[in-house]
Amino acid sequence: MFYVDLAISGIVFGCMYALMAVGLTLVYGMLRILHIAHAAVFALGAYVTVLVANASGSILIGFIAALIATPLCGVAIYRLLYQPLLHYRPDVPMIASIGLLVLMQDGFRILFGEQGVTFLKNPLAIETVDIAGITLNLAQIAVLIVTIIIFLALHLFTTQTRIGVAWRATVSNPRIAASFGVDAIRVRYLNFAIGSALAGVAGGLIALLNNFVDPTIGYVVSYKALAIIVLGGLGSVRGTLIASLFLGVIESYGTIFIGSYLNRDAIAFLALILILMARPQGFTGARTA
Amino acid sequence: MNAPVLALHNLAISFGGVAAVDDVSFAIGRGDFFGLIGPNGAGKTTLIRLISGILTPNSGRVELLGEDVTHRSTATRVRRGLALTHQIVRPFRTMSVLDNVVLAAGHMRTVDPLRALLQMDRHAERERAMSILRQVGLAGAETKLAGSLPLGQLKRLEIARALALDPTVVLLDEPLAGLNNSEAAEQIDMIAGVNASGVTILLVEHNLEEVIRASRRLIVLANGRVIGDGVPHDVMRQQDVRAAYLGESVETYAAG
Amino acid sequence: MSAYTISLLSIVGINVILAVSLNIISGFCGQISLGHGAFYGAGAYAAALVAIATRNLPLALIAGMLVGSVLGLIVGFASLRVRSDFLAVTTIGINFLFTGFVRKQGWLGAEMGISSIPASGLGASGNMIMIELFAAATIALSLYVNASWMGFAFRAVAEDEDAAATLAINGISYKLVAFALGTALAGLAGALYAYFTQFINVDAFDFITSVMLMAMVVIGGIGSTVGVAIAAIVLTLLPETFRFINEYRLLVFGGLLVLFISLAPGGLASLFHGTRTRLRR
Repeated sequence: MFYVDLAISGIVFGCMYALMAVGLTLVYGMLRILHIAHAAVFALGAYVTVLVANASGSILIGFIAALIATPLCGVAIYRLLYQPLLHYRPDVPMIASIGLLVLMQDGFRILFGEQGVTFLKNPLAIETVDIAGITLNLAQIAVLIVTIIIFLALHLFTTQTRIGVAWRATVSNPRIAASFGVDAIRVRYLNFAIGSALAGVAGGLIALLNNFVDPTIGYVVSYKALAIIVLGGLGSVRGTLIASLFLGVIESYGTIFIGSYLNRDAIAFLALILILMARPQGFTGARTA
Repeated sequence: MNAPVLALHNLAISFGGVAAVDDVSFAIGRGDFFGLIGPNGAGKTTLIRLISGILTPNSGRVELLGEDVTHRSTATRVRRGLALTHQIVRPFRTMSVLDNVVLAAGHMRTVDPLRALLQMDRHAERERAMSILRQVGLAGAETKLAGSLPLGQLKRLEIARALALDPTVVLLDEPLAGLNNSEAAEQIDMIAGVNASGVTILLVEHNLEEVIRASRRLIVLANGRVIGDGVPHDVMRQQDVRAAYLGESVETYAAG
Repeated sequence: MSAYTISLLSIVGINVILAVSLNIISGFCGQISLGHGAFYGAGAYAAALVAIATRNLPLALIAGMLVGSVLGLIVGFASLRVRSDFLAVTTIGINFLFTGFVRKQGWLGAEMGISSIPASGLGASGNMIMIELFAAATIALSLYVNASWMGFAFRAVAEDEDAAATLAINGISYKLVAFALGTALAGLAGALYAYFTQFINVDAFDFITSVMLMAMVVIGGIGSTVGVAIAAIVLTLLPETFRFINEYRLLVFGGLLVLFISLAPGGLASLFHGTRTRLRR
């Protein structure tokens, strides 16, 4: 059962990566910007969830607060930082984005302390259930269920609603969508709002899972998410989902088998670099910019 | 005829089973002025890419001064005497007009980075660049940033850069595109002057009138094949050439 | 001079070498590298091992440069395969790979780092003078490179590699040279750092270090040797002089990075290669 446990824990991590990375891949698809500060939005989601949950006594209210704060933050980043830089080489907004990540992460450290914050009461991380001999805690189950619901909702939204279809069209080809009268600016706001909300939920879930949030939470996840969107074939939601789960599971097994040579984060990057070298256009090769 | 400086032997390439260039052969002698025309989709751009080394043919050879360069890089071909201008101008916008040409004039110094590191003197290259700028009519603009020039002057800068490479043959890709009639006529006169100074020219153009006026030999491409080859006015009277062009103009008209 | 001043000046000198060398790769040749910390670290570890084994200063410095540039050449080859923004991601990956690898290597001291690195034998002030001499030499070399035909060709490759090819400039070999040169200097800085602290830990070479170096290059005016050197000096001294800033060091660096790019994206972009930006509206 050990290997099954590893796979499950890998999938749970993979779900988190997916929620985090989808926003990133959508931004890249639409604007060709590597939105590294997305990880700061994710960290914001984690902090807000914990702090509001503690203040209100309800984890659910914590999540709702994160769902309000993170889209606002994401849209503000687009409007204030990226929009003036859209006409420059992609490295320019990317470096600005790294600057913002460093700024926000350090801001969280200063505001909320070196030690980070923990839930006062988090029954989900403690209580476990046995399903067919596999032990899962409630937080893990919550991650799996929330991820499935979100991706289903996303699928329905982008196939069944007018604005959703326009959004998808813009991500896959901004120019053609514009010529069909899609309002690019509105779609971009929507893009940042939804992508950021997903990152916020991911942040809340990881806080639930680890039962604490520390000031470095964003860093590693951000670069890992970059790795994922490259592997997933930039701009592709499905590719990102697959790459996320793949990376989660690889890391899980990797820490067991090559963990004495490389740490968990290095494994992800080794996979990334090898695949980039073999397939410069990414895993699925869906998009060649 | 003298020995060819640029010769294509049975060049062919296809993309996804569609032949873009199909068994194309011709040879340009030293000092010649060739025009290459063809309706849209005739394979002109693909042929240019094969000559410049961006694409490698499925079969056939490209020879420069009698040497097979089919599998050589663009940089190598340029060192062997081929110079190129782009349809869409690509100056180094952050450099001055003069520096753009100086860099080209110093191409023998920049072949090997480590040798380039040991050289600083730019005096001779500056002199040469100035004289070329005068030749193409850009004297007085040398200190401007290349990015600030209007299109007509950028087209001249492209040609100046090509000439500074001291080429045996220059491949001009639509040097008149985007220019108005009088600018185009001026530009073609300048190119004819360059040719008169001994540089072999292969001119790929949409502007039929000017090509026919300036070139001494005309090659017509349609559907990837050479359908006409000879003295410009004779070629333009050929039945299949007229069909290819009239066919296009009818379509263009309908589409417009 | 107090021991504190000497140590401060030593760090300034090392950061000048690092920032100026990164500027050769990213400023002159246009290859955005966010993994400079890895080459710095590789040089430091190589020099530390050689210093412990041989107690020979020149040998250790050469080892640092060599290991830095070999690693740099490997990354340089990688850079040939990917577009500019992916190159940035790849170099970030190299940095994480480096730190992740070192943390698990017992022979490199793993999390503990390597202590007991022998002294250079020059004394603290002699050591500092050596560092400043190397920093001055690095600045001189960088100025020379920029004035040479190599620097001229770098500018062409940085702005438009394909157009450079039509001038017979082989972008591939120029990029490799830029990486080899820049990372050799980063390796040298690492070796000097190893002698300076006599104790190295992988935390000094992490991704944040790379970002700080990139901030120095951006704020100094990418491509300008003197500007970058001044930025390295100021940004190193600032948190040391105003102690309260040290606590908020990252906040300040991140903020400056955002501020400088927002205020002067054109200057920045045009010195990166500006012509190939796609206009989107």
